[in-house]
Amino acid sequence: MAGLPQLIDEDIQCLDGALGDLLERSEATAALIIDKGGPLICQRGDLERYDTTTIAALAAGSFCATQAIAERCGEINFSSIYQQGDHTSILCRNIDDNLLLIVLFRAALSVGAIKYYGDSAADLIATQLQKAQQRDPGQTVDLVSMNVLDAADVFRKGT
Amino acid sequence: MAIINQATKELQVKIVYYGPGKGGKTTNLEQVHANVKDVKEKGKLVSLATSSDRTLFFDFLPIEAMAIKGFKTKFQLYTVPGQVIYNTTRQLVLRGVDGIVFVADSQYDKMAENVESFQNLEENLISQKLNLAQIPYVLQYNKRDLPNVAPVEYMEFLLNNREVQAPSFGSAAAKCEGVFETLNMITRLLLNKFINESGRKTA
Repeated sequence: MAGLPQLIDEDIQCLDGALGDLLERSEATAALIIDKGGPLICQRGDLERYDTTTIAALAAGSFCATQAIAERCGEINFSSIYQQGDHTSILCRNIDDNLLLIVLFRAALSVGAIKYYGDSAADLIATQLQKAQQRDPGQTVDLVSMNVLDAADVFRKGT
Repeated sequence: MAIINQATKELQVKIVYYGPGKGGKTTNLEQVHANVKDVKEKGKLVSLATSSDRTLFFDFLPIEAMAIKGFKTKFQLYTVPGQVIYNTTRQLVLRGVDGIVFVADSQYDKMAENVESFQNLEENLISQKLNLAQIPYVLQYNKRDLPNVAPVEYMEFLLNNREVQAPSFGSAAAKCEGVFETLNMITRLLLNKFINESGRKTA
């Protein structure tokens, strides 16, 4: 399983644009791109209303758990999960081996439309991630100048 | 694998607390959540637990700390459910793990469970195409404050008897003893690893 490639400005702009476009067309409230391990990669929309870090961790766990259940029932094609809410509904959609697209939207909106626009956004994001993967697999951030001794006490206990 | 976002200057690392049931993994996170100070941002501790307070899926605590100058460093602390029946869940939580804290129960009668859980960790890492040689980890011998605990040397022999030994700490997580020492050590090992990899690739 190849890990998530490092993302540069061009990637983030593309991902951000794809989410913005999705929100504009679908009228959804917020959209997130998350890693299946839980971390949040990119987000757009009305974010003040939600604890998106926690939503990302829970959505990743929920998607992967449901996928594992489906596999045990012989289902190999697993692309999304949908929670129909009274006020806010949630769609979690697969992007590629590493990423998920999470869309939060008013329950009054049609999930069909969200799925439709979500498909286009996911395709665009997957294509950009492939580009990032191929760009330079060895490219990394230069952290050499950091003094690890400074990191000996990152977390301090209150008295 | 840690997520490094050069565009937003962000580093996200995932640390998983692993170990036998009722060993103190959730208590570690509760103590960090309750006692940590001077961090940039501390999220809520989310626990997906049964009605009897046993971890069902995972506990999750996000913390943003100043670890690398110029980079937002976001730590995501997870626990796994320790009970044997939840192995599939443990495999899911290990996805994308960067560092592991193995919380062992120091009581004599828990030694078999400690060893079994450690073997289970190794097997589950292999199922993710990982192994302990690649992933920084720290051993925490918890519940040192209880009577009837095994000597640290014995626990080292059982759990840390290999060519390259992992750092280990005695702890009493319920009293917040050894909790921060363990967390800072795994953080240090993780950052060391990133720096070494960074040095190799940019050289």
